[in-house]
Amino acid sequence: MAEANPRTAVSGGSADEQLARSLYAKAEKIYPREVHGLFARLRVLGVLGLLGIYYVTPWLRWDGQQALLLDLPARKFHIFFITLWPQDFIYLATLLIISGLTLFFVTALAGRVWCGYACPQTVWTEAFLWIERKVEGDRMRQQKLDAQSMNMRKFGIKATKHLLWGAFSAWTGFTFVGYFTPIIELGQRLVMFNLGPWETFWVIFYGFATYGNAGWMREQVCKYMCPYARFQSAMFDKDTLIVSYIETRGEPRGSRKRSADPKALGLGDCIDCTMCVQVCPTGIDIRNGLQYECIACSACIDACDDVMEKMGYEKGLIKYTTENVMEGRPTHIIRPRIVIYAVIMVGIIALFAWSFSTRIALGLDVIRDRNQLYRETDEGLIENVYTLKVLNMDAHAHRFRLQVAGIPGVKMYMDLPEIRVGSGEVLELPVRLRVDEAELKSRSTQISFNLVAEDDAKLSTTEAARFLGPR
Amino acid sequence: MANKQIPKSQKCIAVLWPSFLVAIISTGLFFSAFDPQDLYPFGRETGVSRLGIYSIGFLCFWLVSTISGIGTLYFAITNCMARDRANPGN
Repeated sequence: MAEANPRTAVSGGSADEQLARSLYAKAEKIYPREVHGLFARLRVLGVLGLLGIYYVTPWLRWDGQQALLLDLPARKFHIFFITLWPQDFIYLATLLIISGLTLFFVTALAGRVWCGYACPQTVWTEAFLWIERKVEGDRMRQQKLDAQSMNMRKFGIKATKHLLWGAFSAWTGFTFVGYFTPIIELGQRLVMFNLGPWETFWVIFYGFATYGNAGWMREQVCKYMCPYARFQSAMFDKDTLIVSYIETRGEPRGSRKRSADPKALGLGDCIDCTMCVQVCPTGIDIRNGLQYECIACSACIDACDDVMEKMGYEKGLIKYTTENVMEGRPTHIIRPRIVIYAVIMVGIIALFAWSFSTRIALGLDVIRDRNQLYRETDEGLIENVYTLKVLNMDAHAHRFRLQVAGIPGVKMYMDLPEIRVGSGEVLELPVRLRVDEAELKSRSTQISFNLVAEDDAKLSTTEAARFLGPR
Repeated sequence: MANKQIPKSQKCIAVLWPSFLVAIISTGLFFSAFDPQDLYPFGRETGVSRLGIYSIGFLCFWLVSTISGIGTLYFAITNCMARDRANPGN
């Protein structure tokens, strides 16, 4: 190794010791060099798309209200035309499980594409790196600037960068809170300097987290904080797509003139220019093999392809490949691991879709009067008293029709002229039932209340209850 | 790995970060089941908005899980140190 990079050169010791050393060493700042190429364009596309979705979504309107509003103060989640209630917690939990399984599936198939292109940590770090490059210049200039002692010029540049980072973070924090409390009103309160104490707290908290994670911590979040980075190798097998240096082709590495014939010099295709190391956002040398720090961002592929092209060599000295291919064996896309992940994933998605599509946005609770079991009326009928709680979880108000079944000739009396429940409201409805004693066959008879919306027969629910009598 | 070899910042992360995640999960579960307005801590009304109760709840969960994390870290480190003392060669 003629020009070994001091940051990545690891001096001896077992693999465990090397890992321990890298984990516990004080982190040095990494200056990833800007990279151009196919995968860099893909990542920029991903970053712009995801940031766009994040910053625009809370401003979208649907049916006169915020389209996506996880309204914590009102305990209602509005997701376009769907309104979810705390009772629907299971759906959110299932969605999280589906997301987790999808991540497993994608990891087994394509490796850490999540890390390289879609993880918020990567996305915001890319945005912060972009700002840093615009203010401080490229990698060389940044290193030179950081090596200087503090002076007016350096202070000005650094202050500008942090101001821009801070503004971007504050906007990010504001947007975050806008997912949980109506964003337009939030914006109005912000302009009037009239934010609530907890809103202020969360804007600052989230903004600060963004600033710290994307501005300062960067790859250290992936290395020290990310649980996925630690266990993703469990989903890997020899058919998983990985970013890899083709050692057989590249070694022995060494610098040479462009005109030189590597074979005559006894060299492989790697010219040891360390471009792959310079562009790496986590500061590793991909030529040392697959490492847990690698987030599969493929910056090194772009950088190396560029060099190979300039040298007139074939591209792909570093490329997406699988362990099997490198060992000269065929790669299987369909394999037991993939099939198992897919079956579980599709199964849960189907279950979720079925249960969600048959979800009824109507709740009915029947509570018997606890003070007396039953009462005999003047006409000699047996009377039971109930309180019905009607919860309308639909997005619109409805008038409901209540029916009772289970005992022939049962008569129902309500104090209210109609059962009208607004969207998201609970109505307490006292109901008295009277039956002829002759119709009762035992002390306790099962009955059922059926509630149906007058304008929507599908919005209907049935709840069982007991009718008590003397027999 | 004994105590001094782990930088303080990493110890902080090792405690604060997992407990932060646990606090998010706990807050979500707890407040899905209980509406802050139905809660009367120590028999009193809080007079704090729902957002405030969620936030205080979250911070309390974070505090509690942080204390647990400090305990775990303390025992892990002191166990390692005891082992290092017992086998100074390793």
